Amino acid sequence: MVKFFAKRILCLLLVVWIVSVLAFVMMRLAPGDAAVMALPDYASEAQIAAMRVKLGLDKPYITQYLIYLGDLLRGDLGTSVLYEKPCLDVIMERLPATLSVTIVCSIMVLIISIPLGIIAGVNKGGPIDFFAVLFALLGQSMSVVWICVLLLLLCSVKHNWLPSMGYNGLFDVKYLIMPAIAMGYKMCAGMVRMGRSGMIDVLSEDYITCAYARGMSRFEVNCKYAFKNSIIPVITLFGMDVAAMLAGAVIIETTFTIPGIGSMLVKAVSNRDYPLTQSTLVVTAAMFAVVNLVVDIVNAFIDRRMKLN
Amino acid sequence: MKGKILIRRMLRSPQFVIGFVIVITIVLVSVFADQLAPMDENLNHITARFTPPQGISAYFNGGYVLGSDELGRDILSRVLVGSKISLTIAFVGTICVATIGTLLGVFAGYFGGVVDDIVMRATEVTMAIPSMTLGIVIMAIFGPSISNLILVMIITSWKNFAKISRNQVMIMRNREFVQASRALGGSGWHVIMTQIMPNVTTPLLIQLSGTFGGIILTEAGLSYLYLGVQLPNPSWGNMIAGGRTYLAAYPWMVIVPGIALMITVLGFNFLGDGLRDVLDPKQTR
Repeated sequence: MVKFFAKRILCLLLVVWIVSVLAFVMMRLAPGDAAVMALPDYASEAQIAAMRVKLGLDKPYITQYLIYLGDLLRGDLGTSVLYEKPCLDVIMERLPATLSVTIVCSIMVLIISIPLGIIAGVNKGGPIDFFAVLFALLGQSMSVVWICVLLLLLCSVKHNWLPSMGYNGLFDVKYLIMPAIAMGYKMCAGMVRMGRSGMIDVLSEDYITCAYARGMSRFEVNCKYAFKNSIIPVITLFGMDVAAMLAGAVIIETTFTIPGIGSMLVKAVSNRDYPLTQSTLVVTAAMFAVVNLVVDIVNAFIDRRMKLN
Repeated sequence: MKGKILIRRMLRSPQFVIGFVIVITIVLVSVFADQLAPMDENLNHITARFTPPQGISAYFNGGYVLGSDELGRDILSRVLVGSKISLTIAFVGTICVATIGTLLGVFAGYFGGVVDDIVMRATEVTMAIPSMTLGIVIMAIFGPSISNLILVMIITSWKNFAKISRNQVMIMRNREFVQASRALGGSGWHVIMTQIMPNVTTPLLIQLSGTFGGIILTEAGLSYLYLGVQLPNPSWGNMIAGGRTYLAAYPWMVIVPGIALMITVLGFNFLGDGLRDVLDPKQTR
């Protein structure tokens, strides 16, 4: 068990490191001189040269990389050109908005998708199953863009139910409902499908027949045996989706003007703020690693087989 | 599987039939988009801005069947031509993604060891960055163009094929017929191509259909942020983005491309699910 987690943590650290290397390489491959981009058009040659020194662009790539890696290990992600602040501060300022949408969305998704998937799997071929499959298929076929627009049309234009844009903290939920639905529907669709197929697979196993033979009720078998085993892939999928949401749902944040990480990234790339873009990628990978580790731990608690290995 | 049985199974799966009909219709429409479009998709008509949809009869007398946009361009023509661009990107993208992903996955599964480790770490790295985030960064840095769009698709979707083919090969690798081929002196490449590949195509074929739909959605998302297909070229994504400003007064500008997008992806997803029923009846997913 300890060995398993040690190996996982090492793997995930490796992934974060590779992403940091790729981010570094990508920013150096980008066309245009970063020093020129960072300064206004009227900057003189001397100012550009000074900026090159300040950004460390006058040194060879290897030296630049070692400085970057050293800073990264000390938790310094560089300074944003656009906001003229440390990148980490900029990202941290934007995190609460993204986090609020993620929380509301996660709660909604968990409440809807797990019961729907499980019930559909248990009653395969029934009306609930038909509805669940249709719901999931539609969710997987709708573009997030399209869902956003439909929600706006229904809830803000036709009926004045919800505000069409803005953000006012986690507790002012009315601003978060539409973004959460837009973000969550696709997630829900995937999880319903996964839960349903997992349940159907598990229910055909021998140990389920055995449990019935021992005189257990249908409810008990479904809850104690089938549910536990079919939920693991669903949790893994949920973890992946949450990690992706924390990276900032770009389309949703720009549509509903939520000051989160996604809208910041769009601003950063369109203003060629390379340090901030680079740091966003690294932070995203780090969040992915943390979420993945949490998912592994949760799965290890549910699944006894993992403990034995 | 015999051809006759296969066709009977196809006809018995409603999902497959619906998906197949939608996909064939959309492919035909997009191939003949230029002929079908009633007007030039970039022709402006300032006096006919925001014309509401006029119905089928308008097709024959030069009207706006599905309305016009803020520059008086015909929405039907733009949706048709947009379908050609979207499907071309999805088609080329899917082929590249499938080839690269499958080859890497097969190598990883067959050779194992270091090759496997490298490929698996690479899939984790691409998973660590959500596709939309990576798409925006690549498109913004290297400039929005069709080839960069396809590059984004390759980087974000190859892992699905790699994982599936790797797992399948791992199962196949130690089967008797593979070992026999190796014992008879078959080289690695020969064994992979003649013995293993024919046995791993079914799950890959199913994945293919889903990837096609996924690429169309990613392209629409990037075009919505004006980082995909560039104006004035029409794309369903940038049409929705353009119409969003006028959502309250002229909703058809958004609804028409949105529905086109939904039906297309739904068609491919139906086809994928149908193929699963047809080719792999054991699986329930």
